[in-house]
Amino acid sequence: MVTWLLLLLIAGPILFGFGILLAPTREVRVGLTLVAAGVTAAAALYLSRWGPAYGGIFVPSHALPILLDWLMIAAVIAIGWTSRNTPVLIMGVVQACIGLVLEFHPRAPQAMPQPEFVFDQLSLMLVLITSVVGALVLVYAIGYMDRHEHHGPHSQASQGQFFFFLTAFLGAMNGLVLANDLRWLSAFWEATTLCSFFLIGHDRTPEANQSARRAIIINVFGGMILQTGWLISVLNGSGDSLIAFNQAQALIPVAFLVVAALTKSAQLPFQSWLLGAMLAPTPVSALLHSSTMVNAGVYLVMRMAPGFGGTRLATVIAMAGAFTFMAASALAVGQSNGKKVLAYSTIANLGLIITCAGMSTPLGYAAAFLLIVFHAITKGLLFICMGTIEQAIGSRDIEDMHGLMNKMPFTTVIAIVGMIAMLMPPFGVLLGKWIAIESAVHLPVVMLLVIIGSALTVVFWAKWLGRIVTVSYHQKYVMEDLPPVMSGSMLTLGVATLLSGFLAYPLFENFIKPLARVLYPLSSRTDASWKMLEMTESFMTWPIYALAILLVGSLLLTLMAVDENRLRKPFLCGENIADSALTYEFRSIMDRGEVAMMRSYYFSSIFGEENVSAWANPMAVALILSLFGVIAI
Amino acid sequence: MSTMNQLLIALFAVVLAPAVGALLQGIDRRINARMQSRVGPPLLQPVYDVLKLLGKEGVILNRTQVLYAWIHLAFLMLATVLLVLGQDMIMALLVVAVSTIALILGGMCVRSPYSRIGSSREIMQMLSYEPILVLLVIGIFMTNGSFMARDITLAGKPLLLTLPLIFLAFLLVTAIKLKKSPFDLATSHHGHQEIVKGITIEYAGPYLAILEVAHWYETALVFLVLAAFWATNWVVGIALAIIAFVIEILFDNLCARLTYQWMLVHMWTVGLGLSVTNLIWLYWK
Repeated sequence: MVTWLLLLLIAGPILFGFGILLAPTREVRVGLTLVAAGVTAAAALYLSRWGPAYGGIFVPSHALPILLDWLMIAAVIAIGWTSRNTPVLIMGVVQACIGLVLEFHPRAPQAMPQPEFVFDQLSLMLVLITSVVGALVLVYAIGYMDRHEHHGPHSQASQGQFFFFLTAFLGAMNGLVLANDLRWLSAFWEATTLCSFFLIGHDRTPEANQSARRAIIINVFGGMILQTGWLISVLNGSGDSLIAFNQAQALIPVAFLVVAALTKSAQLPFQSWLLGAMLAPTPVSALLHSSTMVNAGVYLVMRMAPGFGGTRLATVIAMAGAFTFMAASALAVGQSNGKKVLAYSTIANLGLIITCAGMSTPLGYAAAFLLIVFHAITKGLLFICMGTIEQAIGSRDIEDMHGLMNKMPFTTVIAIVGMIAMLMPPFGVLLGKWIAIESAVHLPVVMLLVIIGSALTVVFWAKWLGRIVTVSYHQKYVMEDLPPVMSGSMLTLGVATLLSGFLAYPLFENFIKPLARVLYPLSSRTDASWKMLEMTESFMTWPIYALAILLVGSLLLTLMAVDENRLRKPFLCGENIADSALTYEFRSIMDRGEVAMMRSYYFSSIFGEENVSAWANPMAVALILSLFGVIAI
Repeated sequence: MSTMNQLLIALFAVVLAPAVGALLQGIDRRINARMQSRVGPPLLQPVYDVLKLLGKEGVILNRTQVLYAWIHLAFLMLATVLLVLGQDMIMALLVVAVSTIALILGGMCVRSPYSRIGSSREIMQMLSYEPILVLLVIGIFMTNGSFMARDITLAGKPLLLTLPLIFLAFLLVTAIKLKKSPFDLATSHHGHQEIVKGITIEYAGPYLAILEVAHWYETALVFLVLAAFWATNWVVGIALAIIAFVIEILFDNLCARLTYQWMLVHMWTVGLGLSVTNLIWLYWK
């Protein structure tokens, strides 16, 4: 049963994708998309019944993944050729050469047969994220793309093609997180790269083409590194299986795979493709570039984490992640473009996940797991809110979101929920940061970077929140007009985010801790990290829940107690103009009307992209080089 | 500890903390007055102020404003309870941070440029002191081997002896937290600043009273942390905290308000530098 469900989750979306591509009318296409979303989400939720079942799944055929691999390499070369993209063409050819060696090099006999797919708690959780969050974004995209077709550039590709890649992507991502054999993994890895390339280039404007070009160069480079790591492992006789790496502590292939993971997760210095990808229609940003595809990188690091625990490699990986967390948070402080803030925040959070997984202690692993789940849900939500806001106000600038509550209260409230979930207890992201700081205590540099990064994240979220919570007196709410597919998926994700805040602790106790116990063998239980993990049981949760109840109570009481007659206009150091539409207009010298406005601080001279990148990118390159340094020496 | 006991202690702390805070502010005002050759108000003046505020008409700009004031107070109460019950100190820090964010949003949810300036400065203050506070907790961990507040005396010797530089850095944080010059940027106790009540400018009557009570909690928390630097003997600890308070008041009278850029740069160089240096000692031990 599990095997069939997994097959449905991988092949189902791809087949539906072909159906959508060939759909003759819009109605058929929308219907098929809804069915694909429903089937994928339902299958994933049904699959979670087998949560604790840990096991490998054997697929007798080796021909199929190799065929898929060659198909992907051919597609990369074709793209490189037709779009005159020399780097991609060269890297495609290199991949083909590596593929040929891999094809014919004899494998050393393995002590145990290695499964092609592995189904455990980690892959189950990622399948759930991809399928459920992905399905909701897919539904949202139906509404979004109709509006985009009206207002977007005329050069854009057909909606059929767009939904084909968006739907098929879900299958490829599910395959990626389940695959254990590198033949399958590398095929799905390239498939996500290709989906991302076509979706970023969807608008076919010069900027979109430029961004898509950059994305494919960096991601094909990552794929090439992945294949190099695979090649080294085959030549060393470590074989084609990921879990075998962990048992054998094969550090050299692991280091290559980690660098591939850094490109996919857009860690510094590879961040530029994710920023460019923000030009794509928002469902693409929400699905690929915040909640799923970028998770492929951090997933790979988490998958291999138990294998490199306790080595110097672990320390350098944690340091690279922590550095990205700090630098990307600093970059986010300097941005007033909302989508870019979200993008940098995504890069920062992925960096934090890599830090936690890189430390490879039970507590760090648990923190990484917690972050990966909550970040995916919350960031998916924030991106689709951002897309809705952008379509309504025609701007991505945070300063233009002043008074958003009047124009679109529904979206604004849901966006506020998302931002609070990124920032406040009892939501998972903050819990993750907390555990991250405590588990990094034995790596002072990593800890310092995480602390500085955390302080910077508060700055940009507080600025943004402060902008959108602004409401005037005698508030007149005008409910925005959204198609049900958009408002429905926003509401579902919003409610899921709220609920997840209260589920964070049970999830940690009942799901993540048992997994950490399985992955980290008994021998290491004497170390400090285990003690800290076990100590989390003594935390009292009742104060948090008691306070949540108190908060809701005081909210209701204050809202009822406030009297309309006691509402006043703000103090502006001058007489407020009584009949002005703007409550912040006052009489200045010579009775002139003057508007009092205050922009937030952005410090673009310190935190601007050029300034930060100038020192952050070389540092990141140095960190990646030292990743290889510690395994070579 | 049974749940019943914990609840009783929590209740006791929630009542006692503002009383201590109010008394400290009363003493603060008296000492301040003496430094300026004035007699100063009665010791319980902060309480009288709040009682008077409670009797006034609650004038506001919008409904959400009141909510943020409540959240600010509620999370400070939670932090007090967490610390008194000996819970994780990083968690307590994050809870205090949330309460400050609520205050910031309270200043930003209205269309007043002055309260928005106050809020923006409060964000910069958070950015300045938050890393130092986390490093303080890390320093305590390096001394005691535990993040729990109940293990504060585990090492058997006063924290001041292992964390002298972090104590100095914490004095800087104390100045920000108690709204003392040169760091009274977001809101001030003095009438001569360029923006006096910045972040709280649009709060009045009972809603301002909520913020005043919250500040009592904050004052008590700061006092508790200062005293914890000599937790092996609480009498010495309290004496230490009182000395620190007097130093803060002295500097409040000596300095003028400086800009937030100056604060940010100096907190990140001097404050953070002191903390990191202290931590290096501990890691090398």
